[in-house]
Amino acid sequence: MFAATLLACLFSHSIAASEPDLRDEPELARQAAGQTVYFNAWGGDFAINRYIDWVAGEVEKRYDIRLVHVKVTDIAEAVSRIRAEYVAGREQNGSVDLMWINGENFAAMQHANLLWGPWAEELPNSRLIDWQGNPTTRIDATLPTGGYELPWGTATFTLFYDREFVSTRVRNPDDLLCWIEAHPGRFTYPQPPAFLGTAFLKQLLILLTEDTARLQEAPGDDFQTLSAPLWAWLDRAHASMWRTGRLFPRSGPAQRELLAAGELDWMMSYNPAEASRAIRQGLLQDTVAGMVFSNAALSNSHFLAIPANASAKEGALLVANFLISPLAQIQKADEARWGDPSVLDPNLLTAEQLSVFERLHQGGATAPLPKRRVPEPHPGWSAALERAWLARYTR
Amino acid sequence: MLTVSLMPALAGLVAALVLGLDGGALQRVLATPGVGLSIGTSLWTGIAATVLSLLIAHFAVAAAFTGRWRTRLTALSLPLLTIPHLAIGIGLALVIAPSGLLMRLLSPGATGLERPPDWLLVQDPLGLSMIGGLVLKESCFLILILSVALAQVPATRLLQQARTLGYGPLQAWLSVVAPALQRQIRVPLAAVLVFGISNVEMAIPLGPDLPPTFSVLLWRWFTDPDAMIHAQAYTGSLLLLLINVLALVGFFTAGGAFRFFWRRESERGQRRRCEAPQRIGIGVGLTVGWVIGTLAIVALFLRAAAGAWPFPSVLPALQHGETLRDVLQSILPVARSVAGSTLLLATGTAFVTTLLILPAAEKAAHDTRLRGNIGALLFLPLLVPQMTFLFGVQVLLTRMGLDGTYAGVLWSHAIFALPYVWGIVASARSAIDPRYDAVSRTLGASTLKTYLQVSVPLLARTLLLAIALAFAVSVALYLPTLFVGAGRIATAATEAAAASGSGSSRLAAVHAMLLAAAPLAAFALAYGIAATLFRSRTGVPR
Repeated sequence: MFAATLLACLFSHSIAASEPDLRDEPELARQAAGQTVYFNAWGGDFAINRYIDWVAGEVEKRYDIRLVHVKVTDIAEAVSRIRAEYVAGREQNGSVDLMWINGENFAAMQHANLLWGPWAEELPNSRLIDWQGNPTTRIDATLPTGGYELPWGTATFTLFYDREFVSTRVRNPDDLLCWIEAHPGRFTYPQPPAFLGTAFLKQLLILLTEDTARLQEAPGDDFQTLSAPLWAWLDRAHASMWRTGRLFPRSGPAQRELLAAGELDWMMSYNPAEASRAIRQGLLQDTVAGMVFSNAALSNSHFLAIPANASAKEGALLVANFLISPLAQIQKADEARWGDPSVLDPNLLTAEQLSVFERLHQGGATAPLPKRRVPEPHPGWSAALERAWLARYTR
Repeated sequence: MLTVSLMPALAGLVAALVLGLDGGALQRVLATPGVGLSIGTSLWTGIAATVLSLLIAHFAVAAAFTGRWRTRLTALSLPLLTIPHLAIGIGLALVIAPSGLLMRLLSPGATGLERPPDWLLVQDPLGLSMIGGLVLKESCFLILILSVALAQVPATRLLQQARTLGYGPLQAWLSVVAPALQRQIRVPLAAVLVFGISNVEMAIPLGPDLPPTFSVLLWRWFTDPDAMIHAQAYTGSLLLLLINVLALVGFFTAGGAFRFFWRRESERGQRRRCEAPQRIGIGVGLTVGWVIGTLAIVALFLRAAAGAWPFPSVLPALQHGETLRDVLQSILPVARSVAGSTLLLATGTAFVTTLLILPAAEKAAHDTRLRGNIGALLFLPLLVPQMTFLFGVQVLLTRMGLDGTYAGVLWSHAIFALPYVWGIVASARSAIDPRYDAVSRTLGASTLKTYLQVSVPLLARTLLLAIALAFAVSVALYLPTLFVGAGRIATAATEAAAASGSGSSRLAAVHAMLLAAAPLAAFALAYGIAATLFRSRTGVPR
């Protein structure tokens, strides 16, 4: 039976060797019918996994596509697998069809020519995306996406705190440090290179460095000088942090569980609605509120990409097109599901769609919009910060 | 059968050697921040856990087999034995954390704490929590191995002789029976040591993080997108092999020295008059361990059910009018997403290995030496760190087009299940009195008929247990599923490890729950079927 299934898979893949035509949706749907799309996406969050489950049900109904969520701890795992497939000479029929990707992983894949494209701006639904209003939809951590990545959600770095235990207002890193030193053991951040941990480092660096324009280019010999204030801040903070900075939660959700259990008073997320959603789902106490560093909030979009050796490109395209459809974006923005802000341009939606978006309830814990957004630094900074962090804080 | 087991393992080693001998990568490995401490932690936790587990197993077996707990010991250790390392590790973290089950049970009443204290108990830098997790599992394994080895040792005779010389039962057992048993279990003990040093299953939920154990470091390198770091993983896996070889040599040399002193101590002929304190000590120690182990399993279920689990409530409150049905609705889809693949692989592994073993067991039925040799060869892959040979296995299966397929993963699972299935089936087969065969044949039955109507029914109970055991082994396997499954085949083990690796304890608990429930159900089923099959018969081993 295994052999038969295997043969069937190989056979169906070999038919679809020609390049799909993006604009011809019926033809695309005909080719994609029956395909299995392996969607490699971070699998560390209940709500997100359930959202992807819902998407799987929808694309099965609409297009007869079987969507499999390959849950990775870090999308870097999928990048390494694709790289290994190329080393083994597998330039077709790869194991990844669609991936949720960002920043340095996109840079690595683009650099090694491992992505298929350009496709993102040619999908039928991509005309609804707010390309003009939100420049992060075309620029991923300073790299132009060039149509190789499709934005499917936006993000702003947000801190959440328990109002019952945090009464002072925190506007900048100095305020935060004061609070940490006054409340030992109640603050921490996910351990870099977990992406939220690295994001926290980047957000601090942006706030502690006067020259934010410099961060838009790769770090050089000046890394030491530019990052010195960051390390000074961290050295002081660690001494008063959870487990005295000798152990860190491994991810954002891990930190959220610690906040829910009462071990911490803070957590962080790229999603301003994270706490509202968690409160609604009974995952967090309702005394939690959100805040952004209003003068320079780290912001980005997150993306979808298709590897060059994907087996089911047609299916992946249809799934991607569905993911940026108003219906899927509304469901995603709904705090009862995921609460991830949409990438669509409100002006291009029908009145009905717009009213659904507006009727989506925003919970009280959702952070207010920042005054000024700062885009992601050059991906070189993430790598350099992670390396330096590990070298500094591994005993 | 040996080809099935040894070819991939050998190919794996060769591939690891070819890919791993890289001077530049070695330099990078050694330049990794904290790598020395990382290797040290692996060695320390592995060796400490093995020594402790061995001592506990010996004391437990000695106390039980000279007392009244003979059958109860194996029955009570069965749940901890069959539940995978990952599940126990994830559960134990939920018990001993400052906001864990133990502190909740004591708070605020006994501790006066309304909020969890900031104590570094889980993932402590010394690896004590990890050692605890390993000891829970490995002592049960060694208790089982020691009980099985009793068949090879004239325990009753040795014990009686020592007793007539005036030694108390416990002292007598530890002086004469335990050393004889110890000689029988060297190979499984070596496997325990290798697993202790190179596992990721306990190190992910319980091991330290800055730096992690060496195998967790390798596990992270294997999944890094950077090809340079990948090369470090290959080289590092060879280093891991070297570390294990050195540890094995050191461990058994030290074991020899210990044996020498133990013997001199025994030969001094001192008789201890009262053994009650020792017996009570052993009993209390085992009970505490067993209770913690059981709490770990309970904690999995509590954590899985709890959305938020505010300290210090013991039972997760059903918030916002959430009912048990809502809880089930949030858990079941998660569990269902991997239940199919997990059960399919486990069932497949169970039947494939049992079918492979049966003819070989027939051949070796009356040949003790052949039986021993096959057993030793099948055990070889377990003496190599999984990390070291799995990458080679992956390369081999990729060449054969089997990577990412159920067939490939099944194959890799069979490698790990075969030695255990062989261990119980081959010895049970050889224990069947050959005269049954002879009688059947003289009555005119063919070889096949004799086999099916005489041998198989006599073996039925063993076969059921072997199937359950192979099932349990397969459910627990993480690294083989990850590497050979190419990330495409998700089982309860891969999902639990991924969730635990990213620190999401609820998600980890849901998968760990399945990990714990599946083997327990398999054994319950096996015992249940065995009991009903032979309800009306006497003299058939039950």
